[in-house]
Amino acid sequence: MSRFSNPLRTSIVAKLVLGYGLLGIASIVAVSAVFYSGTIGVIDQNIDGKIRAQTERLLDKLGDGSRAALKAEVHRLLTDGVDNDREIFELLDEDGMAIAGNLGSWPSVADAPDLVTATVLRYGRSAPARLYLRPLVQGGVLIVGRDLSEEEAVREVIWRALLAGACVSLMLTIAGAMLFRRTIEARLGEIRRTAAQIEAGDLSQRIPVTGNDEFALLNRDINRMLDRIELLMEGIRNVSNAIAHDLRTPLSRIRGRLDDALRHEPTVPRLSSAAHDAIDDIDDLIRLFERLLQIAEAESGMRARLFERLDLGRVVADIGEMYEATAEDSGITLTVDAPASLYVDGDRNLLASAVASLLDNAIKYAGRGAVIHVRAGLYQGEASMSVHDNGPGIPDAERGKVTQRFYRVDKSRHLPGNGLGLSIVSATAKAHAGTLVLEDGGPGLVARIVLPLAVN
Amino acid sequence: MRCLVIEDEAETSNYICKGLREAGYVVTAAGNGPDGLDYATSEEWDIIILDRMLPGRIDGLSIVDKLRALGKQTPVIIVSALTTIDARVTGLRGGADDYLSKPFAFSELLARVEALLRRSAPGADSTQLQVADLRLDLRTLRVTRGAKVITLQPREYRLLEYLMRNENQVVTRTMLLESVWDYHFDPQTNVIDVQISRLRAKVDKDFPVMLIHTLRGVGYRMGVMPPEEPEPPVV
Repeated sequence: MSRFSNPLRTSIVAKLVLGYGLLGIASIVAVSAVFYSGTIGVIDQNIDGKIRAQTERLLDKLGDGSRAALKAEVHRLLTDGVDNDREIFELLDEDGMAIAGNLGSWPSVADAPDLVTATVLRYGRSAPARLYLRPLVQGGVLIVGRDLSEEEAVREVIWRALLAGACVSLMLTIAGAMLFRRTIEARLGEIRRTAAQIEAGDLSQRIPVTGNDEFALLNRDINRMLDRIELLMEGIRNVSNAIAHDLRTPLSRIRGRLDDALRHEPTVPRLSSAAHDAIDDIDDLIRLFERLLQIAEAESGMRARLFERLDLGRVVADIGEMYEATAEDSGITLTVDAPASLYVDGDRNLLASAVASLLDNAIKYAGRGAVIHVRAGLYQGEASMSVHDNGPGIPDAERGKVTQRFYRVDKSRHLPGNGLGLSIVSATAKAHAGTLVLEDGGPGLVARIVLPLAVN
Repeated sequence: MRCLVIEDEAETSNYICKGLREAGYVVTAAGNGPDGLDYATSEEWDIIILDRMLPGRIDGLSIVDKLRALGKQTPVIIVSALTTIDARVTGLRGGADDYLSKPFAFSELLARVEALLRRSAPGADSTQLQVADLRLDLRTLRVTRGAKVITLQPREYRLLEYLMRNENQVVTRTMLLESVWDYHFDPQTNVIDVQISRLRAKVDKDFPVMLIHTLRGVGYRMGVMPPEEPEPPVV
């Protein structure tokens, strides 16, 4: 697929795989080095130590004894039956000629002042050897050493084992990296495929979520974001439809009235009355737009910097008093219970408008003879202003929807309104970091705005 | 009264100027920021009506700013399509005296212009207000009409006081809400009308002459009206 044909240097997956591969190789090399120095290295050191010790012991034992004594000791050591298959002793005179020993050939003394590794002839057989060439005070050289044939065999076995291990590990690393890459690409592929489908216009697509790993968490987060976006898009679609629908009615009414006024004999009173009606209708439309703007303004949350400390009790008392006469005219008993000193940070006018809107609704929907209580007070540790009526209330199923823009409960469609009131109240509450809660008033409805109390 | 209108949109400008001239004002119009600033600062005006968004790099707010910096207290009304509370607050904090959202009814603008002019005029600070035979004593809070004592609720009292102080002037619903209740929002229902009709029931009922008049689509006016109610300005 062309999706993953990116050059290696741009693919994060390839980079990761390469990085892990290199790390794998580096760790194999490190482990091998440690293992090697822990085995062969130790053996080599042991051999060198043994040779030096043996040489010193030999010379100490003989003190400043003659070469003849040294020769006899070499003979004794080479025939004592202890470790004889590996021991090397050779005694040379001043001219470098062999006096005693088991070597057929040896490196020149000048070339090797200390311990050397060299190939020597031992009992007529060529063998690798570690040699200590020690010049003697009385002239001549003593060579003490060890045949390394056996060590070389061990070294080779270890090398071979290390190589085999490295090959297997490398193959496993490469296989693991490929598997790793394929898994990541498969998970990313799911996200990218879903993104492509959404880009193509299908907003209902979601990324499959399997397991509980980081990808599953990421996918879940992305899906939640998509849910929210889909909801918002749905909201915008509904609002556009509703605006188109809600505007069509008043606009056609205005058009009809003006048209009617012009089609009949245009008398001054007729034209004047038509103009007045048109202005009233247009004012309603302006108000509608104002309210939509108000929701947008509240929802955008840009307001907080204009917030002031205010007494919610005062606001509720003012608005309650403002509506008392209106309620009375509608045959409704309105009681206001708003103690002062309930401080919140907010916009006084927006909050007043929200209470007014709730009271408006209560008076409109509760009907003649109803009782409405408007209260300000503490509610579960927060500031609350509530309007409780004993009218028909809102059916459970619809309570969640009434805060949507332009949503109207079926039974209320014959009453004036545009279904924006509760949306604005809800947006206002949100702008104040609060919530609008609609509860069953048993009977009626309790509309409650809960806001955080002001902190000193 | 000399009135300066700074507004770039020709039709709105004409609408405002024409209306003001018909109401008896001497009107000068400026169509952009620099001209507006020139006129505003070089001459004396009784009131300035100002659009917030203007062409020519100088916007309405900076004109108010300059004007106030020069120490001129000319009343300024901002008319603007920026209608959010945020915009309104910025406008008023910037030194404007009133803020009117577009689109607006001319009657609303005129009522506000007149209210502002009255406010800036040295007011007669008497202790008693009187409209026809209606009297309001500001010290004793006693309201009488003819020989009859009228008992009012505190809010009704303030409503009446505002109407009497603006005798024979148009007062819109929003002006009442702003000045009597001190709230700036648009109540959906006719709460103000209901309050006025309560007041009217106490003040006008049982009397042959009506003092509180409703002007359709505009608001109210307090005073003795000629028998034939004048047609409100047709816009």
